[in-house]
Amino acid sequence: MMIEALIAVALLGALVTFVAPNRIAGKLAFAISLIPTALALWLFSAFDGSGNALLGGELAFSSNVEWIQFGDYTISWFVGLDGISLPLVVMTTILVTLAIVSSWTPIDERESQFYGLLLFIEANLIGVFAALDFFVWFIFWEAVLIPMYLLIGIWGGPRRKYAAIKFFVYTNVASLVMFGAFIALVLGLGDGVTSFALPEIADAMVNGGGVQTALFGVDPGTLTAIVFVAMFLGFAVKVPVVPFHTWLPDAHVEAPTPASVLLAGVLLKMGTYALLRFNFTMFPEQVEAYAVPIAAIAVISVIYGALLALAQTDLKRIVAYSSVSSMGYVILGLIAYTEFGVSGATFQMVSHGLISGLMFMAVGVIYNVTHTRMVTDMSGLADRMPVAAGVLVAGAFGYMGLPLMSGFYGEFTIFFGAFGSELLAYSQVFTALAMFGIVIVAGYLLFALQRTVFGPYHLETDYEIGRAALHDIAPMFVLLGLIILLGVAPELIFEMMKDAVTPILETGGGL
Amino acid sequence: MAVEVQYYVLLSMALFSIGLFGILTRRNALLFLMSVELMLNAANINLIAFAFYHGNLTGQVFALFTMALAAAEVAIGLGILLVLYRNFRDVDVTVPTTMRW
Amino acid sequence: MAGTGAFGYAPAIALFPLVAFVVALTFGKYMPKRGAIAGILATAGSLLLSLWLLVTVAGGEVYHETLYEWAAGDVLTEAGSNGIEFTFGLLIDPLSALMLVIVSLVAFLVHVFSLGYMNAEGETGLPRYYAGLGLFTFSMLAFVYADNLLMAFMFFELVGLCSYLLIGFWFRTRSAPSAAKKAFLVTRFGDYFFLLGVVAIASTFGTVAFAGENSFVVAAETAIENGQTLFGFDARTWVTITALLVLGGVMGKSAQFPLHTWLPDAMEGPTTVSALIHAATMVAAGVYLVARMFGYYALSPTALTVIAFVGGFTALFAATMGVVKDDIKQVLAYSTISQYGYMMLGLGVGGYVAGVFHLMNHAFFKALLFLGAGAVIVIMHHEQDMWKMGGLKDKAPITYYTFLAGALALAGIIPFSGFWSKDEVLYDALIVGLEQPVILVAYAMALIAVFFTGFYTFRMVFLTFHGEPRSETAEDPHPVGWSIKAPLIVLGILAVVAGLVNLAPLAKVLGVDITFLEHWLDGEFGSVEGLTYHAYHETVAFEEGAIGSETVTMLLGAGLSLGLALAGALTAHTLYNVPEPVPHKERLGGVRRTLEANYYQDEYQVWIAERVTLPVARMADRFDQSVIDGLVNSVSTASLFGGSRLKRVQTGLVTNYAALLVAGFIGLLLLLGTLGGWFL
Repeated sequence: MMIEALIAVALLGALVTFVAPNRIAGKLAFAISLIPTALALWLFSAFDGSGNALLGGELAFSSNVEWIQFGDYTISWFVGLDGISLPLVVMTTILVTLAIVSSWTPIDERESQFYGLLLFIEANLIGVFAALDFFVWFIFWEAVLIPMYLLIGIWGGPRRKYAAIKFFVYTNVASLVMFGAFIALVLGLGDGVTSFALPEIADAMVNGGGVQTALFGVDPGTLTAIVFVAMFLGFAVKVPVVPFHTWLPDAHVEAPTPASVLLAGVLLKMGTYALLRFNFTMFPEQVEAYAVPIAAIAVISVIYGALLALAQTDLKRIVAYSSVSSMGYVILGLIAYTEFGVSGATFQMVSHGLISGLMFMAVGVIYNVTHTRMVTDMSGLADRMPVAAGVLVAGAFGYMGLPLMSGFYGEFTIFFGAFGSELLAYSQVFTALAMFGIVIVAGYLLFALQRTVFGPYHLETDYEIGRAALHDIAPMFVLLGLIILLGVAPELIFEMMKDAVTPILETGGGL
Repeated sequence: MAVEVQYYVLLSMALFSIGLFGILTRRNALLFLMSVELMLNAANINLIAFAFYHGNLTGQVFALFTMALAAAEVAIGLGILLVLYRNFRDVDVTVPTTMRW
Repeated sequence: MAGTGAFGYAPAIALFPLVAFVVALTFGKYMPKRGAIAGILATAGSLLLSLWLLVTVAGGEVYHETLYEWAAGDVLTEAGSNGIEFTFGLLIDPLSALMLVIVSLVAFLVHVFSLGYMNAEGETGLPRYYAGLGLFTFSMLAFVYADNLLMAFMFFELVGLCSYLLIGFWFRTRSAPSAAKKAFLVTRFGDYFFLLGVVAIASTFGTVAFAGENSFVVAAETAIENGQTLFGFDARTWVTITALLVLGGVMGKSAQFPLHTWLPDAMEGPTTVSALIHAATMVAAGVYLVARMFGYYALSPTALTVIAFVGGFTALFAATMGVVKDDIKQVLAYSTISQYGYMMLGLGVGGYVAGVFHLMNHAFFKALLFLGAGAVIVIMHHEQDMWKMGGLKDKAPITYYTFLAGALALAGIIPFSGFWSKDEVLYDALIVGLEQPVILVAYAMALIAVFFTGFYTFRMVFLTFHGEPRSETAEDPHPVGWSIKAPLIVLGILAVVAGLVNLAPLAKVLGVDITFLEHWLDGEFGSVEGLTYHAYHETVAFEEGAIGSETVTMLLGAGLSLGLALAGALTAHTLYNVPEPVPHKERLGGVRRTLEANYYQDEYQVWIAERVTLPVARMADRFDQSVIDGLVNSVSTASLFGGSRLKRVQTGLVTNYAALLVAGFIGLLLLLGTLGGWFL
């Protein structure tokens, strides 16, 4: 019942915050958000699961209640955690709490609604990572879009409507494709499957011989392939990989800082998490068949995303495009299909969540005091705001994969896992190409740092530079501490990730 | 000697067509309402005729429902009509075009 | 071997400076001397512990222990083993114990020197400076006694970060941040290959350990012996490939051609930083890494030849550029690049002892020269142009004599330390070169570089200290305190006497056993299995030749290099040791411009960055905005357009709606009727 409690606290908190007066909404939401964070940390310490949730692993904190009878199919409230989802849940709760604190300064209208939406999105995000029934999962998956749409559309920048609609429609269409594909899969599986529980479907796919029935005159093999590709595309938009990434920079640039933090920190991970849960767990044969194109997409995302970041002058756009680049690593790790590759990709999800969150917060703090995000408008900020500048530099180096910070661990394990991949042809070439991203990322981040943080102090706005408040700085230090902690002691979460990932690879026949 | 059912259907069809013709050609909202009423009653005739034909009461019950529905519809319809007249000083349906693109 | 005695405290060597980093960063503002005390205490502690370790190792003990498991997992490696562990561990053998002492000694002296150079000059941001130094010392020491390649890589990167932060110490200028960025980027480019090499080695052999039965060196030997095929190559080729990949990182950090361009720019940082990081220690990390995994390089003659050739070429290439520089620190920067070229040459020809020997000597005399230059800069009120100096000899005698000792060592004049090590490098190159034409070319280049070294070194000495003062500040120098003089004196003594540890030529001529360093590195005092000079020497496949007898070859080579060095010094003497020296640059003719432009190396690298990469990025951006995003937006435009046409159906006339309704109904009837076959 712990997961239900987590979700319920966040939902109730959202309701309470919604009706609370604007004046106290921020503090109230922060206080409420501490409860899920504490609960999640407790879950983390009390975690007793093992194996993969979809492949017969020992679930932690699970509950399974029959909900709706739908023809021959049963829909159940089925939630539970394993080594892949638990770290993501913990990261989500922490990031939401920090995002709430970081909104105290920039959000000055309709506060109660804003913080209510933040808590509402938290509830849904936890649901996405915890749900093990397709319908329950899909409800949370879609419900995440609504608060994010509102956050961008109401509190966003000048082009917020365009960005919000683009974000919503783009990802929603992708969800539709994915949803259709999944339903086709369930129908194709025929009588063997009587519920939408993901473990049952995964079992039917992996052990039960996969799709047996032809559907609409499409033979089972082709149907499986179509479903795989359609679901990959559906999730690829969310990740996002090139060429489905264009909603991301727009959404990030227009979104208020806390929304950016959650968007980059958690929402992108939904895509890779779903890829891992669905495509890479349920379709081992198709993964092998499509390994080379997927790896190519990953490498293109890494390099192309990094090049795009190099061409930007808006700090937020830089970080946004670099997210595209970083998520390319995750895809590469997944497609490597080795223990280090897939676990490293999972680790990178958490790591990138923390680091990109830190970067967006740092950019947000700079924006709060300078009222500009353009690289060309400022220089020498380290002179006036040394602490914030220091954090930005630290975050940038984290992004570049500095050893002893979590980013390095994620990237290294991905590269190591990908290099010796049995499944992926030319894996050495792909790894070498993708790895070149670490040079370009250093290029654009250092270039941006040189122009904004260093040099003689200069600011091209009408505003006098202010001071960043303690509650703006504190969340960044928390994140920095976590990043270094995970960089020094990655086994904290890597162990359980490995444990959850290994069954996937065993079914795929690889190591 | 009962009348064959096809004559009822013919009657109903004629009545329905008259109503449809009214709707397609008239511009007066009041005549619209009346035409709709005709069409509803055409349906009623059908219902009753077939109820009689099949020898059960389902059709008659439905006819009662339709009458109640028609009464409600007329009430609302006349209400709309009054508002139309108040706003446009006319009951010509081509005049209020605010609902178009 | 358990962590007993001195080895139990070994982790503290690196951790002391880490504590100093934290202390300086958090409390530096409130401390007297702004964190300097913490740094001095920490590095002094490290130095003492390192010396203790050195003594312990001399007593025949070594230490190889895994301390912390970072990551482990299953992986099927190419060589056939299963599973891998990435750990943090310490490897304390003669090589690393020696290097620990060097690093902690120079770090300690630089900290002391900083009191005079930074604190006394009223710099702001001192806590940041000392924090940077502390973090650097921590990373460097940890790098030195890392027992595996991955840990080495991690701290290799971290010293890069410290270098970035410290070069950019004066961040309010335009040039320092730019130089810092360049330094990090260029070395990062090298580290890309290094990381690829680490990944390749790890996934080939399933281990990254330097020493012991489970080291990748042993695994590679086995693979070669068994004639295995690794990733589609035969084992030796694959070892060569991976060794060369790792070499990429070495060339970046040790500023070897073509990745040397960052080092001269790095002189934007405080001179103390240049002394510690960009001369004595961090730049040495690359060469040290080659020495550390020398067993691996020894397996690949190709890789060794590349190292030797790059080293020889860089030695000459950089020395020629040093000839025309006017800034005292620039001269030293190019000489640093050149000297590391010698070390690479030494290692590349299998002269493990020679390379390490030169590494040690260079650390001392180059730190001395940089600190001396720092003292000169203080004396000159932060003037670095040598043409504005002159005549400082009498006004700052201690600085002068210590600087001179360093210069003599750098130029390779007998009996200063530099002579012995450089001569040994050249001798090793010569004997291999007699059998290997490529190495002979490398040797020849390094030999010619000796002349230039002598020339630019003494040009620098004469311009700075001799002749008449050429500016007002040179006439009225700023006094320097004990904190500046003391480190100079310590290093000055070392620059003179450090050569004594390995007097190989004398040993050969006199037949006396005075090659202590060779014995030291050969494990005669104790060493880790396989990491000895002899073991390496046996693996290296180079033939060695001689002109006449061994002694004759040696004497010939020594005489040649000494003669060239003296010739260079003498040329400098004739040209510049006059009361009113002139640049004499016009004599160089057309070469001058090329030299002053550093062979256009910066230009082409900047060109690649600004004229190739950036336009490509902009093009990608335009492509992204117009084509990809254009496609996305055109979908929305198309649907909007379609909607705007379709909504015309909504006429607002009830009659039309009714007509449509009826038409639709009739159409549906007809359709269903046709399909249902009613009309047949």
